[in-house]
Amino acid sequence: MTTPLVIAVPSKGRLQENAAAFFARAGFTLIQGRGARDYRGRIAELDGVEIAFVSAAEIVGLLASGAAHMGVTGEDLLRESIPDADSKVAILAPLGFGHANVVVAVPQAWIDVKTMADLEDVASAFRARRGTRMRVATKYVNLTRRFFAAKHVTDYRIVESMGATEGAPAAGAAELIVDITTTGATLAANGLKVLDDGVILRSEANLVAALGAAWDAATRETARALLSRIAAEETARTTREVVAVLPSAPPDFFGKADSLFSARRRRQSIDGLIVLSCPKDKTAALADWLVAQGAKDVTVSALDYVFAANNPLYDKLAARLS
Amino acid sequence: MLCLLRILFQSCRPAKPRGFKGSSVTAGVNTAKLRPLCAALVERLQTAGYALCEPPILQSAAIFFDSGEDIRSRLYITSDQSGADYCLRPEYTIPVCQHYLKRAEPGSPAAYSYCGPVFRFREDGPSEFLQAGIENFGRADREAADAEILGLALETVAAIAPAKLVLRIGDAAIFRALINALDVSPQWRRKIIRGYAAEKNLDAIFAVGGNGAAQDHAGVLTALEGVDPQNARALVEDLLAIAGISTVGGRSVGEIAERFLEQASLKSGPEFPATTRKLIEEFLAIEADPDKASAQMRALARSAGVDLSAVLDRFDARLGFMAARGLDIGTFTFAARFVRNLDYYTGFVFEAHEQSARDKPVIGGGRYDGLLQSLGAKTEIPAVGASIWVERLLTQGKAEQTR
Repeated sequence: MTTPLVIAVPSKGRLQENAAAFFARAGFTLIQGRGARDYRGRIAELDGVEIAFVSAAEIVGLLASGAAHMGVTGEDLLRESIPDADSKVAILAPLGFGHANVVVAVPQAWIDVKTMADLEDVASAFRARRGTRMRVATKYVNLTRRFFAAKHVTDYRIVESMGATEGAPAAGAAELIVDITTTGATLAANGLKVLDDGVILRSEANLVAALGAAWDAATRETARALLSRIAAEETARTTREVVAVLPSAPPDFFGKADSLFSARRRRQSIDGLIVLSCPKDKTAALADWLVAQGAKDVTVSALDYVFAANNPLYDKLAARLS
Repeated sequence: MLCLLRILFQSCRPAKPRGFKGSSVTAGVNTAKLRPLCAALVERLQTAGYALCEPPILQSAAIFFDSGEDIRSRLYITSDQSGADYCLRPEYTIPVCQHYLKRAEPGSPAAYSYCGPVFRFREDGPSEFLQAGIENFGRADREAADAEILGLALETVAAIAPAKLVLRIGDAAIFRALINALDVSPQWRRKIIRGYAAEKNLDAIFAVGGNGAAQDHAGVLTALEGVDPQNARALVEDLLAIAGISTVGGRSVGEIAERFLEQASLKSGPEFPATTRKLIEEFLAIEADPDKASAQMRALARSAGVDLSAVLDRFDARLGFMAARGLDIGTFTFAARFVRNLDYYTGFVFEAHEQSARDKPVIGGGRYDGLLQSLGAKTEIPAVGASIWVERLLTQGKAEQTR
């Protein structure tokens, strides 16, 4: 038997639901072996894939070691846990969920502190006055060190925090925090505010490929099929097919359609039938324009998949693997 | 690891030195070559009166956690069953200081030498490497001690692995004295010294606008101009109360008010005087052999009307001690901007590089009078030291042991 393409996906919570929904949109059903307690599964519609249901932290580990070929994970964890992440993994596509920012947040009462430059000033005064360094509670130790160094903040000490980080300043365990936030509501509830230039990373869930995994011909082919279908569904979802009959198309018709509406030619027959693909939000405007150009009627339809000879997602992977 | 240490100890006893050649270095041979090198280094340093100090490889990590995140991120950390953090010795100076504070009468003169493996994560080389060095504590005749440390380090390396080294010296005390002698506000002094320590360029240091509070709180700052600290504190308390903000976190309202006052004085005060900035720039540009540099600094101070005679007299006295020791100071380069780590070094600093590879130092050191107090000593205790990168002695082309 050939080795399967291993894809690591979150094993619980909203992240799992969202990941499953992402694959479902492309027509893939994730099947969890013998019910919810089995941590290995497969894709019903595509052979040669093994799904590993693991925790978010483990996904990054599997990608870093190459034990999984692909995974669904946030950029925050990739950049925190993998030194020189860009050499070890390729981010193939953002998935549109799991949006969150890793931010530097200080007590709201520090009304004199708005930027990292302020923080640098305050941190050095804090140390000069007390002889100890300002404490930063975080689980993002590496991201914090890198960001603070880039901003010349040196007078601080990290206090590792594995949960409820936003409560650390109120509890007296730290002066400020670096944490992940979606709306900022939790920070505000804890009397904290984000510094103006304190966003370390804007993160969301991504489909990520591990460059160090065992990529043989079979796993590459499985990945190609998987990514081609994901791309085909994405193209179909974001575009519409527009059909019109134009007995005499004006000069540079397709050039104008492209520059005005980002519409691309799909087919044109000698009897004047024209088929275009157009971004979903521009179809109405395109239809109006077509009527003005002399079309009697214009039909617009949604498609299930648009497979193309070129596959941007797989091309991205192939380019990094070669 | 332990094995290497045991070998190290055995070979540290006076033994017949073995010769070695610097060619065909493989991993195994390398260790075999480093062993006698270490032994020879330690023997010379001990003979010079620097008692061998061999602190444990496994160190309590807390003290290194306090040394800044840059050092902390390079530690090899482990913990015991109670969860207490330990690390592999990342360097010698702090453990040797702790040894001194425990064993010696605080403030009494003491001199130590060491040679052994240290462990620091490095991207460009093995994370376990050999470091030899000397530390000299409690000497009130600082300039003589500075010259002794530099001389002993240079002589020891020259005797064991002769190679032409270029020596660069600097003096953090002169830079600090210049900044303190300037007619500018204490905020500016802090800003300059800190910015310089962070290796910012002067443009970045002198840009007030770079500080968010100065722009965003213009109204508050104007209201605070000329206000005394008590009223400023009340004003900040009012501000917080109006905004419905409860005070949380380690800074007091007084501290926040105090910083507002500082910002207000930076903002309302005149722009940083151009002549003063030019003086700093001219000072930092001084680079010459030490005697010439000393004359240039005196001339600059005289023309600017600042009194640097105390630090410059000490600088010259140090040069005198170096010359008396037979060091060829005419070949040294003094650079005013060379201060190594301003956070740590308080005076004389130096680095010796191979002439061919100027990037990595073979010897580096300086005076750090503040460290022992930060490690628990009741008062400031003079301290100066040097460390030698033992592996780099091997890569020096003509590394050959001579006696």
